[in-house]
Amino acid sequence: MLELVGLTKRFDGKPAISDVSLTVEGDEYLTLLGPSGSGKSTLLRVIAGLEWPDEGAVLLNGQDITGLPTYRRGLGIVQQNYALFTHLSVFENVAFGLRYREVDPVSDPADIDRRVARILNLVGLDGLEGRMVGQISGGQKQRVSLARTLVTEPKICLLDEPLGALDANLRERMTLELRRIREVLGVTFLHVTGNETEALAMGDRMIVFDEGRALMVDAPDTVFARPATVRVASFLNAYNLLPGSVTGSHFLFGDAAFPVPPEAANGAHYAVRYDTASIAPAHAAPPEGHVAMRATFVASEFMGSRVVYFLRRADGGIFEVDRHLSVADPVDYRTGQDLTLHWPPGNALVFGATGALIWAGADRAATLEGAR
Amino acid sequence: MDATAAAVPEAERRRNRASAGLLRRNRHLLLLAPGVIWMVLFLIVPLGMMVYVSFWTQTTFSISSDLTTKSWETFFASETYFAALMRTLRLWLIVLALTFVIGYPTALFIGQYVTNKTTQTVLLVACVIPFWTSFLIRVLAWRPMLGREGAVNIVLEKLGLISQPIEVLLFTELSVIIGMVQIYVVFMVGPIAFMLARIDQSLIEAARDLGASSWTIFRRVIFPLSLPGVIVGAIFVSVMVLGEFATASALSGRKVNLLGNIIVTQVGSLKWAFAAVVGVILTIVMAAVITALLRVVNLRREL
Repeated sequence: MLELVGLTKRFDGKPAISDVSLTVEGDEYLTLLGPSGSGKSTLLRVIAGLEWPDEGAVLLNGQDITGLPTYRRGLGIVQQNYALFTHLSVFENVAFGLRYREVDPVSDPADIDRRVARILNLVGLDGLEGRMVGQISGGQKQRVSLARTLVTEPKICLLDEPLGALDANLRERMTLELRRIREVLGVTFLHVTGNETEALAMGDRMIVFDEGRALMVDAPDTVFARPATVRVASFLNAYNLLPGSVTGSHFLFGDAAFPVPPEAANGAHYAVRYDTASIAPAHAAPPEGHVAMRATFVASEFMGSRVVYFLRRADGGIFEVDRHLSVADPVDYRTGQDLTLHWPPGNALVFGATGALIWAGADRAATLEGAR
Repeated sequence: MDATAAAVPEAERRRNRASAGLLRRNRHLLLLAPGVIWMVLFLIVPLGMMVYVSFWTQTTFSISSDLTTKSWETFFASETYFAALMRTLRLWLIVLALTFVIGYPTALFIGQYVTNKTTQTVLLVACVIPFWTSFLIRVLAWRPMLGREGAVNIVLEKLGLISQPIEVLLFTELSVIIGMVQIYVVFMVGPIAFMLARIDQSLIEAARDLGASSWTIFRRVIFPLSLPGVIVGAIFVSVMVLGEFATASALSGRKVNLLGNIIVTQVGSLKWAFAAVVGVILTIVMAAVITALLRVVNLRREL
């Protein structure tokens, strides 16, 4: 449906996005995860026509729209700060696009009433039509902004960190709402976010974006289970990444050694997911088949349904262990206490010197298949 | 400490507390007092005085406080004075319209098209630079510009656009209008530029993304959002133009008499009662104009 071909945009000679090629399908929820400054907002603005690319093309249904002005593209963008018209009521804000667009404006007041009422109902704003924008809450503003874009029936709706300014509670409710609204309308959403949980939870597919490039494009469960590169793994905020090297059949990290198969011979990073590692007393023998290494306790954080333990590795880095309370009761350790970390090696990942994934433990593949 | 506190009788302590409470509760009145006193002394009392004096009896050489409506009758019966009122209103409307027509595009350029804050400030300061010279010089400088042998006529003649000097340029209503527009246009530019500079660019992008063309965006987003600035500017210009007398007397050659000029002449010839009548009328006109302008937009909400 929407195709980006080699898009590059530079600001003062510095590339904000470089050589981005992507395909966005019809009727899908696509999330784009990237840290701040990764160029993700620039990418959205280039797609929407608010910035011109220096190189590359934007194709919509096979037609080149790179040179088209924003108002002829038929795309909708929901901006981070909502950008509502403060001098207009909720109704007038939502009706703006229908009334005043260049292409095919709606002049029949009854038609406008009907369409605005329908979309306000869909986003849950019934009864607020007459309010001024200054008289509604942040969450409601977010909905007005979304309704204002969706009522024009864009071919693709671009959302720039739509949940960024909402509090956690509202954010959670809005994630479900956004998915529901999208499914009702069948319009493609391209949702840009800096929050990995949001990107994983909402997308049918997700793009991991950094330094102006797409690092990985795949289904969220695949991205989570088999991140294509060590950078992708680091953005997911779920992996301990241990730098080291492979000698013989073992990955060496300090004086610890973890067995790896021959295909991982060029390994440079060994990744252990936070929730697959366990903590045992310093001299306890690890369970049958687990690999182990020593670490000292730093702190723990109680998160409600789970506890996160922070331990210092032999090389000075931090190792995180995520323990759900349904699996184990919280344990109190002393700061500086020596402990043993252990995990089943079949759950680990190994990344090569270039950062690419070269080996994923067989167990995870099995659990992934099982989950599907 | 405890002993002293105990030594103060209970009743006195309660009284002290009560008076302290009274002071605390009414502290806002204390803050209000200087402003209120100032307004009463220098606005309410003079206004009342002016209305009162307008009903005094004026004879050729003296004035007495016997009440009469004679001065009022003279004003409305006299062709000259009523015409001055109409002329004042007409000139005000023309100057207001011209300051808007010239000022808005200038403000639009400064507020919307100049994105650099420093450049914006420099341009606004440039608009104010003429005010570094005195009012009189600014007005009188128009004489050598517009006169029969003035700069405008010389340039046009040298360019061959006219064969003889344009006479209507100086000592006519036109010269008064030119002078006033030049002086007051900056009071229109400032508030409008301020409001325009406050408009978030993302609003304009959102409107563009919703499919609106540049003209529609201007009409439906930019202009409505700048309207409070237009109203504030219009109030500035209106108040100053309605009370004008100096520009008119300097550039019209005494041919164009505004209400302000009448007040000046009447006070000059010690006709206090009649000057008061014109003063009251001028005040009513200004109040009506400001009220009408404030009706257009709710400034308290917008600023």
